[in-house]
Amino acid sequence: MTEPTLTYPSPLKEFWQSFRTNKGATVALIYFALLVFAAVFAPLVAPHAPAEQYRDALLTPPAWAHDGSWRFILGTDEIGRDIFSRLLHGARLSLMIGSVSVLLSLLPGVALGLIAAFYPNAIGSFIMRLMDIMLALPSLLLAIAIVAVLGPGLGNTVLAIAVVGLPSYVRLARASAMTELNKDYVIASRLAGAGKLRLMFNTVLPNCMAPLIVQATLGFSSAILDAAALGFLGLGAPPPLPEWGTMLANARDYIQSAWWVVTMPGLAILITVLALNLMGDGLRDALDPKLKRLA
Amino acid sequence: MFTFILRRLAVVIPTFIGITILAFALIHLIPGDPVLVMMGERNLDPVFYKAAMHRLGLDQPLYMQYWHYLVHAVHGDLGQSISTQEPVLSEFLKLFPATLELSICAIIFATIVGLAAGIIAATRRGTVVDHTVMGAALTGYSMPIFWWALMLVIFFSVYLGWTPVSGRLDLEFEVAPVTGLMLVDTLLAKDFDAFKSAVMHLILPAIVLGTIPMAVIARMTRSSMLEVLREDYIRTARAKGLSRTRIVLVHALRNALMPVVTVIGLQVGTLLAGAVLTETIFSWPGIGKWLIDSISRRDYPVVQGGILLVATMIILVNLLVDLLYGVINPRIRHAR
Repeated sequence: MTEPTLTYPSPLKEFWQSFRTNKGATVALIYFALLVFAAVFAPLVAPHAPAEQYRDALLTPPAWAHDGSWRFILGTDEIGRDIFSRLLHGARLSLMIGSVSVLLSLLPGVALGLIAAFYPNAIGSFIMRLMDIMLALPSLLLAIAIVAVLGPGLGNTVLAIAVVGLPSYVRLARASAMTELNKDYVIASRLAGAGKLRLMFNTVLPNCMAPLIVQATLGFSSAILDAAALGFLGLGAPPPLPEWGTMLANARDYIQSAWWVVTMPGLAILITVLALNLMGDGLRDALDPKLKRLA
Repeated sequence: MFTFILRRLAVVIPTFIGITILAFALIHLIPGDPVLVMMGERNLDPVFYKAAMHRLGLDQPLYMQYWHYLVHAVHGDLGQSISTQEPVLSEFLKLFPATLELSICAIIFATIVGLAAGIIAATRRGTVVDHTVMGAALTGYSMPIFWWALMLVIFFSVYLGWTPVSGRLDLEFEVAPVTGLMLVDTLLAKDFDAFKSAVMHLILPAIVLGTIPMAVIARMTRSSMLEVLREDYIRTARAKGLSRTRIVLVHALRNALMPVVTVIGLQVGTLLAGAVLTETIFSWPGIGKWLIDSISRRDYPVVQGGILLVATMIILVNLLVDLLYGVINPRIRHAR
C-alpha cells in the first residue's frame, strides 16, 4: 500500500491544476478553442459564403442596431458581404499565418540555438551576431522591408513574419541550453557515450521546452498582429481574401458612415491577440514555478 | 568606463556593417532585373539599359558594388529618390522632425500615464484597481494600433468633432519652418492659434503611438515597484513614521525606476515601427509614411536608404541607453 502523500500527480495534471488557477488564462483558452473550432468548420458554421455579395443589403448595420437585421448578425460591408462570415473565414487565415510562421521560425530557431550553445566559439558567436543584426530592426519594419522586396501576398507575409520571429527563439534556445549543459545529467549522458545529436535533441532539448512554448504562444500573437498590420498597409494578404487586417484597409473610407465595417475586424484581432497573451502569461506561470506569483 | 564604451562599440560596429549588408542585399533580392523593375519598361533600349546598369554600378562584381555602396553610405550618399530625384538623405532629414515630434510626444504620454498606472497598481496590489489597471495594460499591449487609431478618430473626430482627422496643422496657418518641430515653430512665430492647431493635430497620433509603450511601461513599473516595496529599507522608512506618499514616491520609486528607464529606451524601435502605421493613418508627413509611400511607388533607393537610416538610428539610441545605464549603474559597467 502506497502512502497517499508520496504519490505525485502526473506532470500534465500538475500543469493543468496550476494553469486553472489563472482565471484569465482559462477564459482565454476557452475562447481560443472556440476560435479554432469556428475556423476549422468555417464553411459549416458561417451563415453565408465569405465572398457572396448581397446587392440588396449593402452596408447593413449589425442586428442590434436600429435598422439591422438578424440575417447579418454583424452587418454587411460596402459590397454587401456578411461581416460575421468573413471574420470566421478570416480566422482560418490568421490562425494559419500564425501557426505556420511560428513553426517556420521555431524549428530552425531551436536548431540554430542548440548549435550556438554546443559550439559557442566560432559558429555560435557568428549565429548570435547575425541574430543581433536582425534584432536591430523592429519586427514590423523588418517584415515590411522583406515584403517590400519579395512583393505583397499571403506566402511572403508568412515568410517575412517567420524570419522576423527567428532571433527570439535562437536566443531563448541557446540561453536555456547553456544552463542545462553544465548539469550533471548532461555530463552523465555524455560520459555514457551519447553523440552530439543525441545530446542536443534527446537530452537537452526536452528540458528547454518550457520557455520555448511560452515564447511560441507570444510569437503567435505578434504574428497575427504583424500580419494584420501588413494587410492593413496593403502589403499582406490581397483582397478579396477575408484577412482581418486586409478587411480594415478597405474599411477606412467608412469611418464616417458605417462604424461596424471598421469596428468588427479590429475587435476580432484585439480579442484574439489578447487571448493569446493571456494564455502566454498563464503558461509561463504554470510551466515555470520559479516565476510563479513573483509579480 | 573607457573599456565599457569600447566593449559596447565592439558590438555596435559589426551590427552596423550587418545592417548595411542587409540594406545592400535588399536591392539584389528583388525578383527580376533591378533596372527593368525600376524603369518599369518592357522594351527598354539596350543602349539605355547598359547605361542604366553602369550608372547604378550593376555591371561590377558584387563585392565591389557593396564596397562602393558602403563608402558612399558612410559619406552620407544614399542615392537619389526615383520619384523626386532628391537625395535620399536630404529627404529623410526634411521629414524626420515630424516623426521626432510625434515620437517625443508619444513617449512623454506613455511615460506619464504608464508610470502612474504602474505605481497605482503596485500600491493597491490584488485589489480591483490593480486588476483593472493591469487588464487595461494587457489590452493596450495587444492592441492593433492601426485599428485603435481608427476607433479614436471615429469617436473624437467624427462623433465629437474635437480633433482634426489628419495632417499637422490647419491649412489657414502658415508657419516658417525653423526646427521642423511644429510645436516649437509655432511658438517661435508667436502664433498661438497655430500652436493650438498643432496640439490638436498631435493629440490623437501621440496617444495611438504611445499606447503600446504605455502598456509596457505600466507593467514594468508595477513589477519593479512590487519588488522594491518588499525591501528592508522600505520597512525601515515605514518604521520611521514617514508618510505613505513619501515612501512610495521617493524611497521606492527612485529605486524602481532603473529597469523602467531601460524599458523606455528600448521602446525606440517600437515607436519607429508604430510610426509607420500611425503616420499612414493620420497622413502625418514623417519618415514612416515616406517609407510606405516609397514602397508602393517602388522607389527602391528610398526604401533601401530609409531602412538603413532607421536601423542606424535605433542602434545609436540603444547604444546611448546602454551607456547611460552604465553611468547610472556601476554593476553593469563592471560586469563582464
